[in-house]
Amino acid sequence: MTMIPHPTRAEAPLPLIEGTARVVRIEGATAWLEPEQTTACHGCAAAASCGGDTGDSRGFGSVASRLAGRRFALDNPGSLRVGERIVVGVNHGALIKAALTAYALPLATTLSAGALAEWAAAGDLVAMASMAAGLGLGILAARIGARRLADRGELDPRFLRRADAGPVAASCGELSPGSVA
Amino acid sequence: MKEFALMMIGAALVNNVILARFLGLCSFMGVTTRIDTAAGMGLATTFVMTVSAMIDWGVQRYLLEAWDLGYLRTITFILVIASTVQFTELVIRKISPTLFQMLGIYLPLIATNCAVLGVALLVVEGRMGFVASTMFAFASSVGFSLVMVIFAGLRERLALANVPQLFAGPPIAFILASLLAMAFMGFSGISTG
Repeated sequence: MTMIPHPTRAEAPLPLIEGTARVVRIEGATAWLEPEQTTACHGCAAAASCGGDTGDSRGFGSVASRLAGRRFALDNPGSLRVGERIVVGVNHGALIKAALTAYALPLATTLSAGALAEWAAAGDLVAMASMAAGLGLGILAARIGARRLADRGELDPRFLRRADAGPVAASCGELSPGSVA
Repeated sequence: MKEFALMMIGAALVNNVILARFLGLCSFMGVTTRIDTAAGMGLATTFVMTVSAMIDWGVQRYLLEAWDLGYLRTITFILVIASTVQFTELVIRKISPTLFQMLGIYLPLIATNCAVLGVALLVVEGRMGFVASTMFAFASSVGFSLVMVIFAGLRERLALANVPQLFAGPPIAFILASLLAMAFMGFSGISTG
């Protein structure tokens, strides 16, 4: 029986978490990017027109409006143009650190407050109030933690390469001009 | 305290949300191609599941039961879950726009995750106190996250394996899921021991 060799973590460099984004604006040395929506139909370059709208696709609650809300800035490596699709990456483990900061910290304070209330044999209403207070405290702690992570630049995305033209699903409406490099 | 520990182990391992109750299977199959994304999704689901169970407990006790509106339970809980997801999204955007860029993608997926509603319904059916209900929801969501991460790790290894063409993709993933479910059946011995 042939054993299939698996690269171990010591042998292989840790990969970046990659995602595709589209350049929507250039301001001097800064490029503004919109992440490409990944959906159950495997995501495509027509995401900005997705949602069944025939007119203004940036209406409230549409996919396009959600994408606009998730725009982010990147140092322009020089030759990026509006409409280009590029691949950006963040460090391995950044997602875990971000998730731990945003979710685990508030949960830990909330549950600790609940455990304290239970230990003190408090009633349900007191437990609810103490857990709500714990949640608020945890959100404050998460805010401080997130600021520290951002200051250290651990969450910053990096330009990796230009993306190939992505697949366009036939049911996703027309492609917006310049959305494919 | 011992009862709490047993109840939490039971919720996380013996009656695992995914492998014993078969809830949340779409995210189980869809977001488990990488450990990073599975862990991110798992933590987000843990937060939303716990917080929405807390709110649902209060709504059930002080609104639905008090006003004899039990028939509105499902729709009310769905509304609570959707509101919790929106609240979480707003808070994360306020805490850090960068975090929102990285984590925001998972939140809309959680609003349609049946495991969140399933756990909320189990919590009220269990007729436990507030802290016990919250701990039950938390343990259930930890079990959910644990299985997501284990399955993602297995699929990462599987991506490097030479799988026959006939089984490549979803078929081998389903076989893997069934083997994992059988492995988790071993924990059922805890409840009878």
